[in-house]
Amino acid sequence: MFPGSFPVGVRKPCKWVNLKNTSITTMPVKAIKTISSARNGVGAFILQCKRLDFHYCNFGGSSRGMLSFLTKDLAAFAREHPQIEIRVSPRPAKHPVIKGHYINGHEKAICVRNLEPSEIMKKTNILKEANGEKLKRTKKPVTSLNESVRGIWSPYHGDLRGV
Amino acid sequence: MKVNMARYEAASSASVDFLDRNREPPLHPTNNRTISSPQFALSLRKGSLTMFSRSVLRSFASDLRFAAPSSISAAPFPQRACLHQTAWLRTTQTQSHSAIPDTPLGAIPRVQDTQPSTPTSTPNTTTPQTDADFPNAKKPVAPSFDAPIEVTKSLMSTLPHLVGQSPHYVVAELHARPFLLTEGDHLRLPFLMPNVKPGDVLRFNRASAVGSRDFTLKGSPHVDERLFECRVRVTGTESEPLRIKEKTKRRQRHTKTAKSKHRYTIMRVMEVRVKTPEELLEEGAVVVEDTEDTPKVEARS
Repeated sequence: MFPGSFPVGVRKPCKWVNLKNTSITTMPVKAIKTISSARNGVGAFILQCKRLDFHYCNFGGSSRGMLSFLTKDLAAFAREHPQIEIRVSPRPAKHPVIKGHYINGHEKAICVRNLEPSEIMKKTNILKEANGEKLKRTKKPVTSLNESVRGIWSPYHGDLRGV
Repeated sequence: MKVNMARYEAASSASVDFLDRNREPPLHPTNNRTISSPQFALSLRKGSLTMFSRSVLRSFASDLRFAAPSSISAAPFPQRACLHQTAWLRTTQTQSHSAIPDTPLGAIPRVQDTQPSTPTSTPNTTTPQTDADFPNAKKPVAPSFDAPIEVTKSLMSTLPHLVGQSPHYVVAELHARPFLLTEGDHLRLPFLMPNVKPGDVLRFNRASAVGSRDFTLKGSPHVDERLFECRVRVTGTESEPLRIKEKTKRRQRHTKTAKSKHRYTIMRVMEVRVKTPEELLEEGAVVVEDTEDTPKVEARS
């Protein structure tokens, strides 16, 4: 017999598994984790646009419409939408830009150079109503997180049907 | 004013009712809607037990689920929730929930026997306080029916089976296009719906089928809109990536590019539910004898 080895019939103690303590009764019952997913609008509805930045230039001609929009129309828009933070900041020697910031962290920017105030209002509304998601071409109109109401069809269940 | 049109009337056969924009719909089934289990068991015993054996279990399970406390607050962020309806918020938050009608709009008897009330003219400077302050063109149009809904006896007896099975689906039709909807679904309409704003609540009133796991109420061609409620909330608009189509003519070097970028209305289904026979009777439904072409709840074979 080699020194250090165990005699035949004696089990070598395992480092990792302590067989004494494991039994079926002490096995913990694990619950299946359900992750609740946010579905905006089912209960409460939160507008996805949280901030709008308006950038303009005091000198440039392409900002003319933007300047009149800022002075005339923006106050009313801001009053109607208190949930949207509105920032106005100059950006000299650049075209005017509106930037929307969304709850999901994304950002959308629209250049409004040489646009009339009414057109700028339309662009602002586009940013307001957008959800901040990346634009995608989808073919299916309905996306559902619920499992199928009627269940999955199985060939082994249900009655036999004559043709 | 923030509140816009009251009814979106589609040119085709589909129509959407604007209902109760200022009211949170009942998110959880209330007790008067759920069927008490002994009564339900009784009605099942009358029916064929072999067919409904699975549904019995399921309905009891759903009853238990309803019995559990389900008064979870709907608004996790009250400060940001519903801020889209600022004008409404300013007026109604002070009155707490007194502005919510005690009966849901669907539960009002639908036979319109009087003329719609003429709105009182209010100065534009004040925010509208009550329903009467809104101009008539912007109010939700109460559906006018010539007669109360007629429900056959067989439908009355089988409807509890459908109502008792909890998750429901509805095949709602919009512009003659079917959309299979369940509660919480995200719906992107294939068009931009005019005159709606994010936060508006619409009620789809045209459905070709309403069903649960084992039972389906099929319409011929449509289910009566007084039998179910399907509400959706407009959550905004979405657009597709820019499409560029190259247009070429023969023997010409010049290529024209046609660009298009469509916009779509996106919605979220808030509620899909079927009304109980008790509710129907409360609303003034008339029980009639069975005929050939009456809607029936079909059980899955």
